Amino acid sequence: MAEGDLQPGSKQFPIELDHDTPEHAANWPERWRAIRETTPRAWTESHGGFWVATRLEDLVGIAQRDDVFSTHKELDRVTGETTGGLSIPPVPGIRSIPNESDKPEWNGIRGFINRHFAPRAVELRRQRARNFTAALVDMVIEKGHFDIVDDLTNPLPALVTMDLFGFPLEEWRAFADPFHTMVYTPASSPEFAATIKGLDHFHARVDEEVAKRRLEPKDDLLTIFATGLIDAEPLGYETIHDLAFNILAGGVDTTTALTSNTLLYLSRHPDQRQELINRPDVMPLAREEFIRYFSPIHGLARNAMSDVEVNGWKIDKGDRVLLAYSAANRDPDAFEDPEEVKLDRFPNKHVGFGAGMHRCIGSFLARMMWECMVTEVLARMPDYRVEEDKIESYHTVAKVNGWIHIPAIFTPGKKVGATIS
Amino acid sequence: MRVKIDPEVCQGHAMCFLACPQVFELSDEDGHAFVADENVPPEFEHAVEQAVRSCPEGAITTF
Ligand code: HEM
Ligand code: SF4
Repeated sequence: MAEGDLQPGSKQFPIELDHDTPEHAANWPERWRAIRETTPRAWTESHGGFWVATRLEDLVGIAQRDDVFSTHKELDRVTGETTGGLSIPPVPGIRSIPNESDKPEWNGIRGFINRHFAPRAVELRRQRARNFTAALVDMVIEKGHFDIVDDLTNPLPALVTMDLFGFPLEEWRAFADPFHTMVYTPASSPEFAATIKGLDHFHARVDEEVAKRRLEPKDDLLTIFATGLIDAEPLGYETIHDLAFNILAGGVDTTTALTSNTLLYLSRHPDQRQELINRPDVMPLAREEFIRYFSPIHGLARNAMSDVEVNGWKIDKGDRVLLAYSAANRDPDAFEDPEEVKLDRFPNKHVGFGAGMHRCIGSFLARMMWECMVTEVLARMPDYRVEEDKIESYHTVAKVNGWIHIPAIFTPGKKVGATIS
Repeated sequence: MRVKIDPEVCQGHAMCFLACPQVFELSDEDGHAFVADENVPPEFEHAVEQAVRSCPEGAITTF
């Protein structure tokens, strides 16, 4: 046995950690702090064994080594069994691309969709997203109470994502709900298989609409899937499913979690809410700070394809590593007073959107949607107050750090007459 | 002061653009950053230094 093997956190002396539990969900900031301070590069035997990267420098170092660390997932379409991929614990039955692909496959897919998520493309959608937001607020503004999640932060990203695909907007709920449940149901629970089954409707609708676009192209993502070429080949049926899955999964729940957490935080900190109302110029910095602080995507995996050393950390071929964005985003070596929300924090090199080549393609869209929702609430319900005794968070944050219900009350206002169309 | 971005390392976090939109621009193709003119006007030097410290990938260098 090599020297150092008996160090706590080594494979011979693993730590106790299962991040896919209610205990972790209830305590993760303290848990990560303790692990980062004592065993920043720790091995746990949970879920088949994996390393946890809790420091920003290590996390970025690994994320940038895409020559060694893979996210490729093999999916047996008959049995649903998978190997590799991004998730710990593994998610059977589905694959996401580009996220669960390596170069060179990744280059083709990412290059194919990049333009539709770039800043200019997103700016062109802002006015419609504002309208959707105003219409959602119109539906509750005269009542004086609403559920931040059900009435705003869940529907808005779903509507914007549906619009981007080109799906009929009124179908948003049938699309978004299965994703929402999939994200907060532990993969090891008996209900999980049913949530995966809930995605069948989505896949069936993708097939129907893609078939329609082949006959009658429109200006939307479904048309691009139907008529576009990757490496001079039309997209296969499986590629379309895996790609559409990744975009919908990325689009519907993460921005929901970010905005829910933001609005809950601002209800609990009225001084900071007032500061944001008084200083709209701080909004972009505050947005990045909330992404850092809440890390909507808690952590994702990489799989070592050969023995490697990163910043002196030896990782063996076949090892899995959890890139714990939520831990790295509170690393005191990278952020001053990391456990505090500073609305105007800058510099802020958070990794809430990941790092390396898989870094979030939807970041500009997410930022835009967050701005629409937070601006609208602060303008039209500036005194909203969350009913703290009625809130319910996700029971596990292993995938997304989000909320099921956040009811709130506010002084009723008037409709502005916006509609979703 | 002059500034450059390593296009192999930049992943389009856009934190540089947030720090100093006068110097950093974002591509319409993939959202990655570039500088049209590597010479930084003195009044933006501080903002560019902030950008260096905000880039999670370490893609920006001043020289
Ligand atoms: C606040 C909201 C969001 C957060 C925190 C977030 C976070 C992330 C993170 C951490 C990754 C990196 C995955 C990795 O390291 O392997 C990622 C990738 C990705 N995200 Fe997001 N995301 C958000 C919003 C969105 C939206 C709105 C979309 C699309 C509509 C989206 C689509 C994707 C896709 C397709 C990838 C995979 C990119 C690739 O593999 O090249 N995300 N996201
Ligand atoms: S912050 Fe760094 S990685 Fe992000 S766009 Fe600017 S240079 Fe590129």
